[in-house]
Amino acid sequence: MEDRTSSPECTKYEEFFNEFLPKDNDTPLVSVESAVHRVDAISKASGELKYVADIKFPDMIYARMIRAEIPRGTIKKIHVPSLPKGYYFITEKDIPEGGKNCLNMIASDWKCFAAGVVRFRGETIGLLCGPNREKLLDLEKQIKIEYIEETPAVTIQEGLDCKGGAFVNDNNIHCHLKLEMGENVDDIFEKAPHVFEDTIETGFQEHVYLETNGIIIRKEGEKYVLYASAQCPFYIRKSIYTLLNIPIEDVVVRQISTGGAFGGKEHFPDVLAGPLLVAEHKIGKPIKLIFQREEDIENSVKRHPSLIKFKTATDENGNILAMDSKVYYNVGGYLASSYVVLQRGCFHIMGCYKFPSARTEGFGVATNCYPSCAFRGFGAPQAIFAIETHMCHLAKHFGIDPLEYKRKYLIKQGDTTITNGKIVEEVQCPKMIEQLTEASDYYTKSKEYGYGSYKGIGISFYNHGGAFTGNGESAIIKGRVRLTKNSNGTVDIFCGQTEMGQGINTALRKIAAVTLGLPMSKVNFNAPDTGVVPDSGPTAASRSTMVPGFLVEKAAKEMKERWDNEESFSVEKQYEHPEGYPWDQSTFQGYAYLGYGWGCSIVEVEIDKRTTEVQIKGIWSSHDVGNCIDKRIVYGQVNGGIAQGIGWASTELLQNIGGKFKETSFSDYIVPTSMDLPEQKVFFANSPYEWGPYGAKGMGELVFNGVGAAYIDAVSRAINRDISKIPVPSEYVTDHVLHGVSDCLKEIK
Amino acid sequence: MEKNITFTLNGTKVNLTTNPLNRLLDVLREHFDLTASKEGCSEGECGACSVLFDGHMVTSCLIPMGAVEGHEIMTLEGIKQTELGKIIIDAYADGGAVQCGFCIPGMVVATYYLLMQNHNPTEDECRVGISGNICRCTGYDLIVKSIMLAAERARRTIWA
Amino acid sequence: MGVNCYVPQTLEEALKIRSEKDCIILAGGSDLMVGAFRATGVTPYFASDVMIIRSLKELQGISRNNKGQIEIKACTTSREIASNPLVPWVLRQAAGKMGAIGLRNSATIGGNIANASPKGDMPGPLYLLDAIVVVESLARGEREIPISEFILKLKTVAIEKDEIITKVLIPYDDTSFDAFFYHKIGRRHANAISKLTLTSAIKFSRRGSVTDFRLATTACGVKTNRSREVESLLIGHKKSEIPSLIDSVTTAFDALLTPRAMPEYRKESTKKMIEDFLLKVSHNDEQKFYE
Repeated sequence: MEDRTSSPECTKYEEFFNEFLPKDNDTPLVSVESAVHRVDAISKASGELKYVADIKFPDMIYARMIRAEIPRGTIKKIHVPSLPKGYYFITEKDIPEGGKNCLNMIASDWKCFAAGVVRFRGETIGLLCGPNREKLLDLEKQIKIEYIEETPAVTIQEGLDCKGGAFVNDNNIHCHLKLEMGENVDDIFEKAPHVFEDTIETGFQEHVYLETNGIIIRKEGEKYVLYASAQCPFYIRKSIYTLLNIPIEDVVVRQISTGGAFGGKEHFPDVLAGPLLVAEHKIGKPIKLIFQREEDIENSVKRHPSLIKFKTATDENGNILAMDSKVYYNVGGYLASSYVVLQRGCFHIMGCYKFPSARTEGFGVATNCYPSCAFRGFGAPQAIFAIETHMCHLAKHFGIDPLEYKRKYLIKQGDTTITNGKIVEEVQCPKMIEQLTEASDYYTKSKEYGYGSYKGIGISFYNHGGAFTGNGESAIIKGRVRLTKNSNGTVDIFCGQTEMGQGINTALRKIAAVTLGLPMSKVNFNAPDTGVVPDSGPTAASRSTMVPGFLVEKAAKEMKERWDNEESFSVEKQYEHPEGYPWDQSTFQGYAYLGYGWGCSIVEVEIDKRTTEVQIKGIWSSHDVGNCIDKRIVYGQVNGGIAQGIGWASTELLQNIGGKFKETSFSDYIVPTSMDLPEQKVFFANSPYEWGPYGAKGMGELVFNGVGAAYIDAVSRAINRDISKIPVPSEYVTDHVLHGVSDCLKEIK
Repeated sequence: MEKNITFTLNGTKVNLTTNPLNRLLDVLREHFDLTASKEGCSEGECGACSVLFDGHMVTSCLIPMGAVEGHEIMTLEGIKQTELGKIIIDAYADGGAVQCGFCIPGMVVATYYLLMQNHNPTEDECRVGISGNICRCTGYDLIVKSIMLAAERARRTIWA
Repeated sequence: MGVNCYVPQTLEEALKIRSEKDCIILAGGSDLMVGAFRATGVTPYFASDVMIIRSLKELQGISRNNKGQIEIKACTTSREIASNPLVPWVLRQAAGKMGAIGLRNSATIGGNIANASPKGDMPGPLYLLDAIVVVESLARGEREIPISEFILKLKTVAIEKDEIITKVLIPYDDTSFDAFFYHKIGRRHANAISKLTLTSAIKFSRRGSVTDFRLATTACGVKTNRSREVESLLIGHKKSEIPSLIDSVTTAFDALLTPRAMPEYRKESTKKMIEDFLLKVSHNDEQKFYE
């Protein structure tokens, strides 16, 4: 081991990682930025860490979910075979008196068990439980459900057209909002020399967490304990306790190391947890419910498909005078969390730009699709893809390089947003342009490749408002975090944030360790148990480092002051909204976000002239994340978010035909492999955030939000066709080449 | 119908009575309690259940037990006991290759398989080597770098 | 309850079981096990008895037989085929691009043929090379069938109930042609099922006129498309004449294609790949040309 006299190449990768310098976890930490070993890396890489599917309890039985096979209609009759001893079929009828058949997500409209009416294919009808899994399959086949079928509305347009009759309100609009800034846009459209229309669409996206959904429930004393692969243990508790009408504390959720989530395990685990709770109440034995992969893709939430219509007024030279937009999201059968998703979409509809006047109106459209829900970006990526693509279309129309066109409108500190708040921080986009145009040789390539050379380079700008909107963190979440000093000099963090791969269990320890001047090994943080930790809010909205992480820092600071005088004590901190940044949640007016993450991506592609297969030649990105709590963790987040964003725009086609998802297996739903992506070049242009730990802001979603637009910009330029709809797998590229248009803006004036 | 099946598992001869159509993955996880191999897709597409079958990587979700009779199976539980296995696991931790971790056992098996055949891979060869393993978290870059780090360290030590 | 599963130790034993029982033959399992999967912890479902032949020694290996043919035994895996220099280049390409690495260590040539999927990787090059499938039964011994007659339609091959595919014979090697083409389009750059595959080979006489030209495409219809008639359009012509004949070749070949899904994409890509390859060949001066 000691003989390191070999040639310099032999340590090339040691040196590469030296930039990150993994620190010995027993040495006191001084910097949050330099990398440490992730606390779970070895146990994961050696296969020792247990996920839900790996856990067994004595006397445990299994469950299979029985679901509606039609997208819309009413249940006439359920034929259940006679069940052998030890087997149960749990339905709505098993909810005890006083219990409510609903899941309390943000809205409480999603039924735990479909009762009578079916709003989407895959809606839970019952839970079949028993000891033998083969027997469960046999029994499942014998359960026959008779329906009266109705015509489903599947697409946004069908929803708006109330195909088959409206089933939500009288217009299939689940939720709606409208925002305006500047002058009245209609007046500007009247006077403007040019007015353009442009329609941009995005499709469903499946999360593809590598670990499918799974929960085990068992009774421990009087408590119902759920061992869950989940992002938000407190969400589950709140969502399901009303089913049994029991005190909320009687439901305990223990998070088990979660094999990826990306928003797909934010509210969705409630759909497993609810029926399991009712089953457990009746059966009393440990019950395990693990989804199979096809079952999971077919019957779980997705990213909202979107249809966004722009109407833009310009002067003779293409200068934007006003922009109006209508934002439609396919919400599916139940509202659940979608109003908040739609709000975030509308708040991000101007992307990184400022226009003199703007208006947007958002509509959450009811369809008979599986409900859409959280997915990395939470409504922002659709809006950002749309504005970025619209800007490219305008740039092309006026013969201006997209980068030059976009840069004119980049928003700055103090500028007014669509909610009539201001941008609080310094916006680093100009610096990102410098970093990335140089690294990628953008200007040379943009000129050389031009339009239609089958080589293309594209650029996008994007942001993401960190944490909950406005004053939501203090008004709604009220997150709390507790630190305890033990008499042996170790510190325990009590906090509800969950590890799902993003590195929060390392990041929070690190914030505490650096603040207290301790080594990582002296700071403990266990996967949250709702019976033990305070509710620090969901692990969502890119808030975990930014908000609970800040509370950890504050608590640790206070702990440090008291450290020498007290042997063992606890410090608890609750989030407070900074003064002077008002927000009105009823009108959506004010400072929507105090800290945005900002980003810029450049993508270069080369397209096979024969087959239109797209090869990505380079990806360069720069982000403002405030500060990197761990440079290597952040680097990994950037890599992963960008890979997912490329997939969304390119290969990840997910069609819903007649209410049923079509691409439901890994051979049909195509996520990028290691061969589909080049090595990414990663840059940072950080602008510290005053109310984040060591200046850190949210970044988990930011890194997804924009790269899809850069990819499509590159592909569009390569084939000289405007692209208005994603995803675009290679056969669609051929379609664009053969039938597409090189200018898809509709000039209505 | 059940059959008695004998095979070598991580270097030890084992014997069990099972339906020869049962999947190797189920037998490893449930009969032998070797849960490092994960079930990601059940159709040989994701690589999370990868094991070595007579030294060659296969997806254990597609192997019926009848095909295992008389053969050698090595899982991550076996690989982690080897010198190379330890180097790979350490390199994955040092290189930040691990995020949610669910694909990682399969990635480590794929890395072991690659490095057994090629002590001096290029980054492109590493990309080929893990191309049957789907990862949704990392975008693969730090996994590739970590494989290179493992190879570099193995060349300096066990292969020196 | 349940079906029987046989694990014979010799080919003779396997043929005997096959003569007595109606059973599904499982080699690598990479296709059959996907279809048979029901749920974690549950025995996969097969409609009839199963015989696992993956490890039969008599069905392993690649060699040249005394007729000069390349002989690939039925249970030889894609990995072995992809890495053996005896195997013609186009087939090595197909084997090497099949699915993922783990799959290529299980999937067998016999299985890929018997599976008779239009998206199969091996049939394209096997059609191109006039491969012969050898089946064997206890009652009638060996029987040789050209691949084009062996694959009948989707999921159906010309095998009798008592027969087993034992080997594939390929009457050509890389010296038989001067220019080779293989391109598989998947839905991503690795670990993909074929969306369209085109393969081609050309032989020139010493004077530079085409003596043999072959073209095969898969995933453009239920069977691999190949036509002697289309191929004859180039035979006898000088290399320099090829560019002027490309249109007639692509038009005639296009008429054979009946892709079910994405017809325009498949037809357009096929046409452009043929054009590109033939143009390159016509300008190529190297002795061997691989694309």
